[in-house]
Amino acid sequence: MARSPTTSDVFNAIAEVRRREILDALMAGEKAVGTIVADLSLSQPQVSKHLRVLSEVGLVKCRAQGRHRLYSLEPARLRPLHEWLARYEQMWNERLDRMDDYLQELQRRESSSDT
Amino acid sequence: MTRSRHGSARIEFPNELDVLITREFDAPIALVFDVMTKPEHVSKWGATPPDQTKECSIDLRVGGAYHHVFVAGDGTECSFRGTYLEVEPPIRTVKTWLFDGWPDAEAVETMQLHETDGVTTLTVRLAFRDKAGRDHMTRFDGQQDSFDAMEDILRSLLGPTGTSPS
Repeated sequence: MARSPTTSDVFNAIAEVRRREILDALMAGEKAVGTIVADLSLSQPQVSKHLRVLSEVGLVKCRAQGRHRLYSLEPARLRPLHEWLARYEQMWNERLDRMDDYLQELQRRESSSDT
Repeated sequence: MTRSRHGSARIEFPNELDVLITREFDAPIALVFDVMTKPEHVSKWGATPPDQTKECSIDLRVGGAYHHVFVAGDGTECSFRGTYLEVEPPIRTVKTWLFDGWPDAEAVETMQLHETDGVTTLTVRLAFRDKAGRDHMTRFDGQQDSFDAMEDILRSLLGPTGTSPS
């Protein structure tokens, strides 16, 4: 698979549900590949493949300890992504909150006209 | 008195092309459906202040068209349009979604409602034809600069120095 140095890489990386699960698993702290395999009931090759993608975009880092490779999150690199998602979420929230207010107003009007 | 559900929408990006939005409302399903599909209702809540709804037409039947025109605070207009592909009151509509400013960003929007004990859950799935379309969408639906900001951030993340903004 060709790797393009575009901004879509981080999005591609987190678009895959298994990769998000791996990021979640690493929230608790540094883990060996085998531990992630056990946590998520995935095969070792699958986990390794996903970890490679996550490493390439800088969302996780890896260090060797003996014959184990330990993976951990790069939280500073995730934070701006969370901030951007939060803004997008806020836009939807504002829109749906307006709809909610309108629904409540309609129901109040309806119930007061019933009495 | 029901508790406020403000700020409770959940946004997910289940894959590269989809955006999934979920939100609950303390209202019966039929009313939520009407508020989302009747122009006299949509024109009341659809625009983001200071934008105002200038035109809102909805022909709610399979093959029917809808068109929403908004006027921004500075007088510029933008509009969304599309065609209904499925209409199943009061639980579901599927429609094409086009933003006039970005004809490339075509999407299919599936709106699904489900009521349990007087609480109606809304699920909106926006399925973009391609990833560029989804990224345009996240830029142009009310947050003009968010995509630019995201791009800058991602560039800095992916840059060789890896410095993150503080």
